[in-house]
Amino acid sequence: MNPATIFDVQRFCLHDGPGIRTVVFFKGCTLRCVFCQNPESIDPRPEMAFYPERCIECRACLDVCPRDAIREGDVERIDWSSCDACGRCAALCPAEALRQIGRRVSASQLLAEVLADRAFFDSSGGGLTLSGGEPVLQSDFLAAFLPLCKTKGLHVLLETAGNYRFEKIERLLEWIDELFFDFKFPDSASYERYSGSHSRHIEENLERLAARQRPRLTVRIPLIPGLNTTDDRIDAFAARLRQLGIARVALLDYNHLWEAKLPRLHTERKPLRLHRDQVARQRIEERFRFHAIGVASN
Amino acid sequence: MQVDVPSVTTPRAGIDERAFDPLPPIERLGRLRGDLLAAPYALCTQKAESLGEYLEGRSRSAFARALQRARWRAYRWALGRASSGGARPLWVRPLDTVLRGVDRLLDGAHREPWIVELARALAYGLERAPLAVHRGELIVGNLTSVRLGAALHPDYSGHLLAPELRGLSTRAVNPLQVTPEQIAALDERVFPFCFARSVLSRALLAQSTPRLAERLLDGRAFVLTQFSGISHLTPDYPSVARRGLSSIAAAIGRELQRFEATTPSKRQRLGTSTENEDGRGSPGQEQRAFLRAALIACEGAIAHARRWSRWLALLAERATSEGRRTELRELSQICRRVPEFGARTFHEALQSVWLTHAMLHHESFQHGISFGRLDQYLYPYYRADLEAGRLTRARAVELVGCFLGKAAEGLPLFFERATEFFSGMSSASGITIGGTTPSGEDATNELSVLILRAYDQMRLRQPNIHARFHRSSDPRFRALCYQTLARGGGIPALFNDAVVVPSLMAHGVAPRDAADYSIVGCAEWGVPYRSFPAAGAAFVNVPFALLLALGDGLVAGRREAPARGEAEPSSFDELLARFRERLRDLIAEVVAANNEIEAAHRSIRPTPFLSAVVGGCVERRRDVTAGGARYNSSGIQAVGLADCADSLAVVEQLVFRERRLSLGELMRIVDANFVGHEALHREIRNRIPKYGENSERSDQLARWTVRLVDEVVSAFRNPRGGRYLAGFWSMTTHQGFGRRLGALPSGRLAAEPLANGISPTNGWDRRGPTASLLSAAAIEPRHIANGCVLNQSLDPRFIADEAGQRVVDGLVRGYFAAGGAQLQLNVVDPAVLIDAKRFPERHRGLVVRISGYSAYFNDLTEAMKDELIGRTLHDCSCGVGG
Repeated sequence: MNPATIFDVQRFCLHDGPGIRTVVFFKGCTLRCVFCQNPESIDPRPEMAFYPERCIECRACLDVCPRDAIREGDVERIDWSSCDACGRCAALCPAEALRQIGRRVSASQLLAEVLADRAFFDSSGGGLTLSGGEPVLQSDFLAAFLPLCKTKGLHVLLETAGNYRFEKIERLLEWIDELFFDFKFPDSASYERYSGSHSRHIEENLERLAARQRPRLTVRIPLIPGLNTTDDRIDAFAARLRQLGIARVALLDYNHLWEAKLPRLHTERKPLRLHRDQVARQRIEERFRFHAIGVASN
Repeated sequence: MQVDVPSVTTPRAGIDERAFDPLPPIERLGRLRGDLLAAPYALCTQKAESLGEYLEGRSRSAFARALQRARWRAYRWALGRASSGGARPLWVRPLDTVLRGVDRLLDGAHREPWIVELARALAYGLERAPLAVHRGELIVGNLTSVRLGAALHPDYSGHLLAPELRGLSTRAVNPLQVTPEQIAALDERVFPFCFARSVLSRALLAQSTPRLAERLLDGRAFVLTQFSGISHLTPDYPSVARRGLSSIAAAIGRELQRFEATTPSKRQRLGTSTENEDGRGSPGQEQRAFLRAALIACEGAIAHARRWSRWLALLAERATSEGRRTELRELSQICRRVPEFGARTFHEALQSVWLTHAMLHHESFQHGISFGRLDQYLYPYYRADLEAGRLTRARAVELVGCFLGKAAEGLPLFFERATEFFSGMSSASGITIGGTTPSGEDATNELSVLILRAYDQMRLRQPNIHARFHRSSDPRFRALCYQTLARGGGIPALFNDAVVVPSLMAHGVAPRDAADYSIVGCAEWGVPYRSFPAAGAAFVNVPFALLLALGDGLVAGRREAPARGEAEPSSFDELLARFRERLRDLIAEVVAANNEIEAAHRSIRPTPFLSAVVGGCVERRRDVTAGGARYNSSGIQAVGLADCADSLAVVEQLVFRERRLSLGELMRIVDANFVGHEALHREIRNRIPKYGENSERSDQLARWTVRLVDEVVSAFRNPRGGRYLAGFWSMTTHQGFGRRLGALPSGRLAAEPLANGISPTNGWDRRGPTASLLSAAAIEPRHIANGCVLNQSLDPRFIADEAGQRVVDGLVRGYFAAGGAQLQLNVVDPAVLIDAKRFPERHRGLVVRISGYSAYFNDLTEAMKDELIGRTLHDCSCGVGG
């Protein structure tokens, strides 16, 4: 069976479902959201990152790079055009200034990592959260991994953005207890403009998931100031949710901390320079309530 | 005297929901708290002066007194030299021996046994101790002659402070008010008559090698505490409350009669010919002297309580308000009754316990004298009063609040170096609540709840409150613990019955007694009321022993132990075996020194009053210092667990697994504090898994270290016939040891603090709280006999609401289910601590958790403040993803 490519396993997470949870971040996504919180999650392959503030200039990396892709002394240390992310430099770097983001794990390895916090899942009603990237893109892996989780009695929550053919998620649903569906825009044009993809699959998947009893579905809207938070956007969101028979929505506040990651990575992404807006949030909540859509606290 | 109090075994009704009802702030407690926070810290020399006065009065001639003064001056001169770094001149010791001999010739022969003298001195002191009732107090009895006082005990190690007395009120950390009259009195009338018979001089003079005496004081390899006083036990307060001191005195009297009746020959009874230098005499005479002394001490205590009663009656007449007059009259009645006789009401029981506790502190420097399971033994009084309509829940909280306020009045007196090792001025008196009955049912009762609620109103640094959790703990009680913690202060600390009870049973405690365990001082679990566990006797720097093994007796280039001329170890196992040897040698040194101190206690400073109220002593006719208690042990704390495990992991990986360096090469780099080897240092810090990250190998090495320490320590016996037991809590000795220690292979640099208790090194537990809690559980605390401390900081924003408290419950129960024994939570915003460091005056009541105790942030050393800020910043930023 093929291993998964993940870029982090984070323990003691409290905002990704009930109780104390371990979140596995899967690498790879088909959307290209300009506001993506995890720019290192998009490429499905492992990639390199450089943290200039950690470098102690020991130069160990220079000798080990087979492609001479490391530029001495430069803040942009990695010559992206010749780097193939083989990770030899990162394996050696004593200061963890060079890091390989993304590693391959087998289902049993990953299960062991997740089960480490078993005692806390049991005591707090927590469990495993699959996040990313888009975990469903690694559907084949999950189809083997999730049954293992269920034999251990883990509560499994999937966070998804829904941009794939329904079959990919359908085969996983019986293993999943709870779904967080990130619904970014109420219209296809915005999806195309800000997320780099039409929303045909997303719309269809949301509709089909909403129609099911299980798993329990929570629709989350990541608030992107100005992009999906104007009154007409909120009205459109509300209308769409009511059509789907969804009476409650969770709102995710915008967080600009992802911009700090950009200089370390090989990416074309630009900072958006947007900031969380608490006043706007109140207005948005009120507007949803006006449309008889409840807002879950998070 | 027959007392109409229901027995302790009365079946417990479930906790009434009303105990959890919102309780408005109680005005009296608010005022009391304000007064206590505003009161200055001062030195109390009352006991010292009355002891000096008593002994001076027993001196036979003016010549003898002059001689004693001369001897003190010589000693003071040597002490001043030693504390300013000079070597002790060779002639001091022979001179002292001569003076001591002359002194004894003149003075020693015809006295009463020394223990009787000490009992009389206590009675003499209690007769003269000033009685002060502070505004609004409903519980009376003073630890010292000032409101917030640190008593100087010249019969222990008080004279160590002599060189610092003049600077005491201006010293940077924990200044204490002191008057020139006090200093003069100490110098002229106290030290000359006490110091030679003090535990410290006796224990030090008994040391055969000067090196040991040096080690005792230099604070590098270990620190010993018992030369400062008896410490760390839980007296039989339940009996005092139930029977009263008169009944205990009567039992002593009967025992004395029985002794006289069964010991036929007068010579054997009095044994004059075998009297030793301390007037202890033959075993028979020692027993008789002990019983007489205990009787005298009890009578002195009863007289003290009667004085209180008369004084309160007088104060009542002078009271300006009718309300206060009634209160004082009532208090006067109560003190006429207790602790002389058995208590009949909740108020009487609290007063009885408190006054006895206070009087014990006039006898000895009492560190970590704890109250045991207060909610259990006071419950019958509470229940009876409540049912009879004599007491409301609010009134009970008010009374307990006053009791807690009294317990916050005591300060330990530390000379400057000790402040570094025991920062925070904690007397470490513990109250244990919750837990199970001996038959395993939930013992949490309304009083457990009300004690917490009283604490919530007081929020002072002490006493320590310890909550026992178990599988069927009342969830409302757990929730109340979290709510109390959510407001900061680090109280209560949480203990896991499922681990502690078996750990006690594995160390020889009967199941019934183990189920009744309570916490002494910081975190030491043990049998209350009838033990002398001396749980805080010593602290050992474990990484120091490891360095001895790594450097064949050299630490940072300095010869600290004999070289064995061994070649480099060929395997990791061989290194571990050498470490075991070095640790055993170091512990043997600690044990030898502590045994001297305990022997000095027995000969020079028995504590007859304490012995009267510790179960077993009267029946065995032995002082606690002579092994009179039912259970006897001494505690040695292993400090630097994480540093040791991490260092072992690094050495194993670099030297034995990857074979990149020889041990000698690695140690040269370490001893040079990694200067010039930055890359290696980073690699060690970043790439070799550390204890606290829940990685298998480092957890294994930590577990191995715990087992090693337990095995080495429990092989030794103390002079009281008990075992040595290992604990893993450090107070702030991890700071003191750390400052004097060079770098370690773990990557910890020279002079950085060691890790606290069983906590990971600050900032090195990079996988969040669940991982560090699992590491701490993986060391298998069920093998730890003398308690362990794990610190975890939480961001107050996170624990504030109900959802947050559910997560905390999840953390605690998950940790306990994984085998964790103890957890203490510091809920504080790092920004507040940073502000408090800059502007201490704005944060006068800020209480934080230190080690096994809480303290005012302002009372800490600067280094400890920094450590706490670092710890909080790390924990609050770590792990909470999503």
